[in-house]
Amino acid sequence: MVEFAPLDWFWLVLFILLMTFSGVFFYRLGKRSQADFFLAGRGLPWWLPASSVYATHTATDTPIWIGGVIYKYGLAGLWYAFFSAWCAISAFASTRIFRRSLAYTQAEWQSLRFSGLGAELLRGWFAGWQVFMNMFILGWVGIAMGKVCHFLFGWPLWVGLVFFSSLVAVYVLSAGYWGVVVADFQQGIIAFFMIILTSIWAVMAAGGPQNITAKIASMGQSWRLNPFHFTGTFSGDFPLAWFLTMVVIAVLGGFGMGTSIDWYVEAQRIQSARTVRDASYSIWWGTALVLIRNSFWAAAIIAFFSLFPHLKNPQEYEMAWYVIGFKTLPVGLVGFFFASILAIHFSTISTHLNLGAMYFTRDIFQHYIKPDASERTLVWVGRITTLILLLGSFFYGLMMEELTSWLIFALWIMAAGIWLPNILQVVWWRFNSWGYLAAWIANLGLSWLVVWVLPEFKVIPSLPDYLQFWILMVLGALIYIPVTLLTPPEDMDHLVKFYVMSRPYGWWGPVKKEAIARGLIKEV
Amino acid sequence: MGFIRRQWSPEEADEWTREDVLAWILSPLSYALLSVGSALSIFLIPAGFVMLLLGAVVTFLLFYIIDPKLKVISSEYEKKQKEYLERLERITRWEEE
Repeated sequence: MVEFAPLDWFWLVLFILLMTFSGVFFYRLGKRSQADFFLAGRGLPWWLPASSVYATHTATDTPIWIGGVIYKYGLAGLWYAFFSAWCAISAFASTRIFRRSLAYTQAEWQSLRFSGLGAELLRGWFAGWQVFMNMFILGWVGIAMGKVCHFLFGWPLWVGLVFFSSLVAVYVLSAGYWGVVVADFQQGIIAFFMIILTSIWAVMAAGGPQNITAKIASMGQSWRLNPFHFTGTFSGDFPLAWFLTMVVIAVLGGFGMGTSIDWYVEAQRIQSARTVRDASYSIWWGTALVLIRNSFWAAAIIAFFSLFPHLKNPQEYEMAWYVIGFKTLPVGLVGFFFASILAIHFSTISTHLNLGAMYFTRDIFQHYIKPDASERTLVWVGRITTLILLLGSFFYGLMMEELTSWLIFALWIMAAGIWLPNILQVVWWRFNSWGYLAAWIANLGLSWLVVWVLPEFKVIPSLPDYLQFWILMVLGALIYIPVTLLTPPEDMDHLVKFYVMSRPYGWWGPVKKEAIARGLIKEV
Repeated sequence: MGFIRRQWSPEEADEWTREDVLAWILSPLSYALLSVGSALSIFLIPAGFVMLLLGAVVTFLLFYIIDPKLKVISSEYEKKQKEYLERLERITRWEEE
């Protein structure tokens, strides 16, 4: 249990008021149109969506899992968090293509890239899946806040979940994405400042950098300061083969769209940027901050290890960053520290409330239910959906927690089998909607077989996750490549329009030739 | 014209060129150097400072190479954006396939 002094309460209340009302302040802008409520009118300079990328990807559970991998693997654990480096390529590749498409959502992009029934099936599937996913993430992150408040103040779990998510909903309902991005900007600053301060504080509390390195060396644990210390080429639970697989997934994944679950959040930031250049820079700099933040967290966890080197229970060492903050910071800063925890929580909740509502409003309500809806109606549908997502997240967070591990499994598996098709849809003109649909369906069956069913019946041994990834990728390709080649290509008129607008890279020769022949682009 | 091109016509900038490939190589390298370099520097490990410095140089190079091209792509695209947005609305409202 943590005791707050009056100064701590002062900071806390001040920041809650600041974060909430700065969002509400943009009410008039948010209600103007659908483009304002979900994309801030597509007019933001790069640094605003960049701060939103950073703030959104700093959630209450992030220091917990980063704390876990760094305590266990030392600085090499930083590579667990390097998946976000897909933005390194994406910022100068798929971000440019997506921004040029102007699609509100990845679901809408499907109907620009593909045509006919296949495109509509994909749009409907993506929209429904993303509405559910955002509610799932809201419940997951929300209950994490409930646990933090229970740990700190002894409150019942539902209080932290319901109270803080509802506060966030005030400004998301009022101003939509305008509220999200403006609040994210200040939340990002507060969180980044406190992460650096707390980490440096932790290092100094553990005796300073030189004492920490000397102490770790005296324990025979110097490998913890080597970012390239692996357990073997293929052996152990952190082998070089895992690292190389991660590099391929993360870096090459940037050529596709949706190769990371974070893509759907970034896609909204990309479209809210005022130009293609602003979109690229927002993704690049937002992710750079995420990676540098991880380094500061890692330093704090190494300092924590030097003080408590014998913890075996993950539940103890995973909370290291929170323990450091609340145990070592002085009066006044503890309240500031909790305010920064609220900041990272608010930014994640606000993003997923607005993002889930956008998929419903744009891709389900407007496209399938009421195509001629007015802008005013669309904004109201956005608000009502936001409220439904909020209530759904309470239900999920409180009642369905046991499903979380199953859904995390499902996410990982989806990432494995759909990774290559997500790239192919961008780089290969001949890849069609039927191939992409086949990839999704095949992956659902194959993943259960490879990960659970076949090992359970001893047909194959239980495989490490990096090996599962490669096997699922190859098996899936054996299905969706023939399906693609045995079904007709997309309509050439549709492909030419997409090509001229988005100018994708890769194997688009026949489409480019047609676009030149029609005089739509010049041959260089 | 040097190895790195800094003057672009709109048509040329729309093509994927050597400058894009260089950005794809430098960008992840920059992330890795900045990330690992920061962590090691906090512990005053000399290799960390070297990596951090290299990371800053690579980052500068990255933007030096790609920025002129992105500026031209952006300004040219802005001229067509209104027309593309109108088409997007027509597709969502089922007025165009």
